[in-house]
Amino acid sequence: MKLPPVLRLVVRNFSSNLDPLTIIIRFGQPAVTIVVLGTMFSAIISSDVTGGSSYTAFLVPGMVAFQMITGGVVSGNLFWLDRRWAMTEQIFSGPFLRSEYLGGLVLTTLLFALVGVGVMVLVGLPFIGIAALSASGVVIVLVTVALGGIFFAGLLIALGSRLRSANAYFTIQSFLQLFVIFLSTVYYPITSATPRFLAAIFYANPLTYAADTIRDAFAGSFGASDVLSLGVLGGLAVVAFSAAVYGFRTLDLGPIQ
Amino acid sequence: MSSSSDVVLETRDLGHAYAPGRFAVRHLTFELRRGEVLGLLGRNGAGKTTTVRMLTTLLPPTEGTAIVLGHDLRTGGRALRSRLGVVLQAESLDFVTVERNLLLYAFLWGVPREIAKSRAEEMIELFELEKARRRRPWALSGGERRRFQVARELMHDMEILFLDEPTVGLDAIARRRILRYLRERARQGLSMVFTTHILHEADLLCDRIAVLHLGRLVAWDTPDGLKRRHMGLREISVTFTTPLSATLRAEFERDLGARGGSVVPPPPGLPPLEPAVTLRVARVEETLPWLSQWVQRHGLDIERLAVEEATLEGAFLGLIEGLEEPDGGDGGDGDDRPSVRGPALGGVGP
Repeated sequence: MKLPPVLRLVVRNFSSNLDPLTIIIRFGQPAVTIVVLGTMFSAIISSDVTGGSSYTAFLVPGMVAFQMITGGVVSGNLFWLDRRWAMTEQIFSGPFLRSEYLGGLVLTTLLFALVGVGVMVLVGLPFIGIAALSASGVVIVLVTVALGGIFFAGLLIALGSRLRSANAYFTIQSFLQLFVIFLSTVYYPITSATPRFLAAIFYANPLTYAADTIRDAFAGSFGASDVLSLGVLGGLAVVAFSAAVYGFRTLDLGPIQ
Repeated sequence: MSSSSDVVLETRDLGHAYAPGRFAVRHLTFELRRGEVLGLLGRNGAGKTTTVRMLTTLLPPTEGTAIVLGHDLRTGGRALRSRLGVVLQAESLDFVTVERNLLLYAFLWGVPREIAKSRAEEMIELFELEKARRRRPWALSGGERRRFQVARELMHDMEILFLDEPTVGLDAIARRRILRYLRERARQGLSMVFTTHILHEADLLCDRIAVLHLGRLVAWDTPDGLKRRHMGLREISVTFTTPLSATLRAEFERDLGARGGSVVPPPPGLPPLEPAVTLRVARVEETLPWLSQWVQRHGLDIERLAVEEATLEGAFLGLIEGLEEPDGGDGGDGDDRPSVRGPALGGVGP
């Protein structure tokens, strides 16, 4: 039986450019962060700072939120490599629509991010306890990561559709990742001791909204502020995805380096 | 437009401008029949790749029309593309082994697994990729990559195959093997559009040739027709049994000149290669009897005679060099460029 074009493209995305080592590193790095950073900092950071839980229990939802970047980066890089090696042109000359190719990238992002969420939760279970997540909490986590994944994928695809040099793309992508992760509440909470300018930057970062919402979902304290956070994240996802669509519609398929 | 059911591709005044008024190709009018191989020839930048990209829907035409396999090129979309095959000029590769690449590409095209497996084996053998089967694209030589790219495209069924310089970097044996296979596929009904700079292979493979120059179609004919029409001056090498005296040589040059021919001068600084002379003439078939009579009349004898073959390359050079002469129509950047329907070329075409 012939799969629909989008699913054929997703299968191709997973089997063409993603080798096992890349997948292990993508999921292994945050998992190791939970174990090593969590253990080491739990010993020296007071639970007062992290809202009464251990630092590891604080870090696990952060690493779950981090998966939206992982998923987005995977798709952004896939797209870039396809462009670089003329596979976008080859695929567009075949029985596919551009929208299907973009849909395939988004689905790849979501699948990657959701598998990442599963891995992080599994690694974090010994630290956060098996009853940490309710059914509604799971839904909130998945929706949050999905929206965040679409945001980052859209952003990187839009970027990849405009840049013509691999150096420029990967430098900006690395810088963006670093900036977004460290200027968010993934690793540390915003407290009264946080300098105001840094807090302002944190709140301009979509990863902060995702991390806070997921943390609340884990804690079972999902509330009005989280609905607002999801709204912001959803709005940003729409904007980034629209930028990606525009990038696709106006994509120059000529050679790049 | 023609209503013949044999016509699988028909363009009329097709053109693409990368910016307003800056046309890469313009006024392309030609057709392709079922099982026919059309060669697109032209200098670098003549518009061959732009034409292929337009005809495969990768680039929208900005003017003119084209009907490909019964679909309007502008609206055919997926339904049209699913009946085409495209070997791009650029290397397009996935980062898995050659064998996996073939199977993955067949999967993308929805080829059933069993068929894909047997076709992959066939292609690996045909394109001599056995040693490369388990290697990834970056470990392949340039020729292997090119062979792989052609092989991959043949993993799925199609009605028109576009090949944009598919033989670049291939050795003579691989090139001949691929051309023979493509010729066989054409015999079975596959139509092809083929671009190359190796004119000898265009001569071997193509039924008709479209020559592009500065984005215009300047000739569209069979290879033999092009040779007849555009083969410029040809060279005849003559070695006499004895050197010509200065007087006789001057007379020979004068008589030849009266017939529109000339003797090729030796390279600067070198003496003439007596008793050999090289003539440059427009009509070999008229010059040879004259030469025979002239030699007899002067009591001379010819030891060796070689006539340059009429080649597609010669015809191509004759055509393009004619266009690039100062008054050959190469000065414009718009509508004043030559085209096959223009008066300058007298409506060349089949």
